[in-house]
Amino acid sequence: MLTRHIEGDTTAFSEIVKRHRDRMWAVALRTLGDPDEAADAVQDAFVSAYRKAESFRGDAAVTTWLHRIVVNACLDRMRRKSVRPVADDELIEAAERDMPLPDQTAEREVSLEVTAALKLLPADQRAALVLVDMMGYSVEDAAAVLDVPAGTVKSRCARGRAKLAPILSHLRNRTDLTRVSSPKGAQLRDG
Amino acid sequence: MTGDTHYDLEILAELAEGLLDDATALEVRSHLAICDACGESLAGLAAVRELLSAVPVTAMPLGVAMRIDRALESEAERGGLRLVETPDWDEIMKDSPWEQPVEPAPTAPVVPLAARRKKTRGRAWAMPVAAAAAAAVVFGGVGLATQIVASGSGDGGVTVAGPAVSPEKSPLKTAESAWAVRASGHNYTSRELNGPLLGYFGPEPGTGTNTDAQTDKCVAHKANELDRQPIAVDQAFYNGQDATIMAFWEDKTINAVRVVVVGPDCHNLRPEGLATWN
Repeated sequence: MLTRHIEGDTTAFSEIVKRHRDRMWAVALRTLGDPDEAADAVQDAFVSAYRKAESFRGDAAVTTWLHRIVVNACLDRMRRKSVRPVADDELIEAAERDMPLPDQTAEREVSLEVTAALKLLPADQRAALVLVDMMGYSVEDAAAVLDVPAGTVKSRCARGRAKLAPILSHLRNRTDLTRVSSPKGAQLRDG
Repeated sequence: MTGDTHYDLEILAELAEGLLDDATALEVRSHLAICDACGESLAGLAAVRELLSAVPVTAMPLGVAMRIDRALESEAERGGLRLVETPDWDEIMKDSPWEQPVEPAPTAPVVPLAARRKKTRGRAWAMPVAAAAAAAVVFGGVGLATQIVASGSGDGGVTVAGPAVSPEKSPLKTAESAWAVRASGHNYTSRELNGPLLGYFGPEPGTGTNTDAQTDKCVAHKANELDRQPIAVDQAFYNGQDATIMAFWEDKTINAVRVVVVGPDCHNLRPEGLATWN
């Protein structure tokens, strides 16, 4: 149906932009944790996708293709900045240093602290957690975007969560999270 | 295990992801059955997932969408899209797991109030119909992503009550307390507020009134302090904080505007500064 309304390739690409820009923005903003960086990354990604359009194969999922370009643009930016993995002690110290002002709302505080904590993770762990835990994609979808096996995505998520847990532990009492502890623990204990 | 007492978080996280072999998983589960501390650690890992999923989704800010439009237009001028044939995007994406619309969470701390009220996809606008139409004309010419913005002013915007003001009647000329208030939701940085600002605020001058009495009062207060009417007002964010951004002409002949950034309590979030308009 869409093709009937499409006149020329530029319109076709504008359709992609319209459909995906909010989601691409969310992925980039969460991965990079900085609106300026995210804006640059998304712009680079859309321009790159535009240039690479002739290499797109119709039998591939355009969403996966586009997500991959955006995530890679974000990872490139992070790597150019040479963000080194940091030790757990440093993570906790940095989180305490970046503690938001006390007059901010609880929700905003949680959001800012999560963003600050994510920025301390290695790029590959951050990207996996953004896709799986924050965007809600399945491990298989995230694996397709990241172009790695599903097991690698699980492993990156596990290591990322293990690093974040002590940093974000003080937030557990501020959110309605009590429901997740006992059932999950029981499930894992009982196999 | 650490110190022959507890398992470290990474092992527990791997257990939760099903990454451990059967024998190790059984061993860890047996330990969890009798160790409250490790059970707490496991719950902490689950809480991390909940915290991450609770961070709200925000729509792409107008300024970013316009930037991308301009970049893609430049690409188009250089030679156009080189697709061999136009794919049927609807067909390709119909089963996509990512085709659900992005909706800002109701409690989203970084979603503007107007957007929260409407729960619409994209940004919310609070501006008079005349100004919205003018914006649609201007942005319509930009194309691509801003086409959504223009249509968003129809179905996602906030209808503004109050006297309609002709677009030709600039607040500067009429000296009435009338201005356009937008809710772009953009998270401004200090650098962006040095200008140019036109890309963020839209066509100048904005006219109209605002239904939010508190914002209206604050803008009127600042206008009174500076003894001039604002040319644009945007309800957005400044470094992650709720903010109202106001732009006043400082010297139109040299394209200089004074930028005032206030929080919900109408106190300045940053010192007043000068910026370029376009």
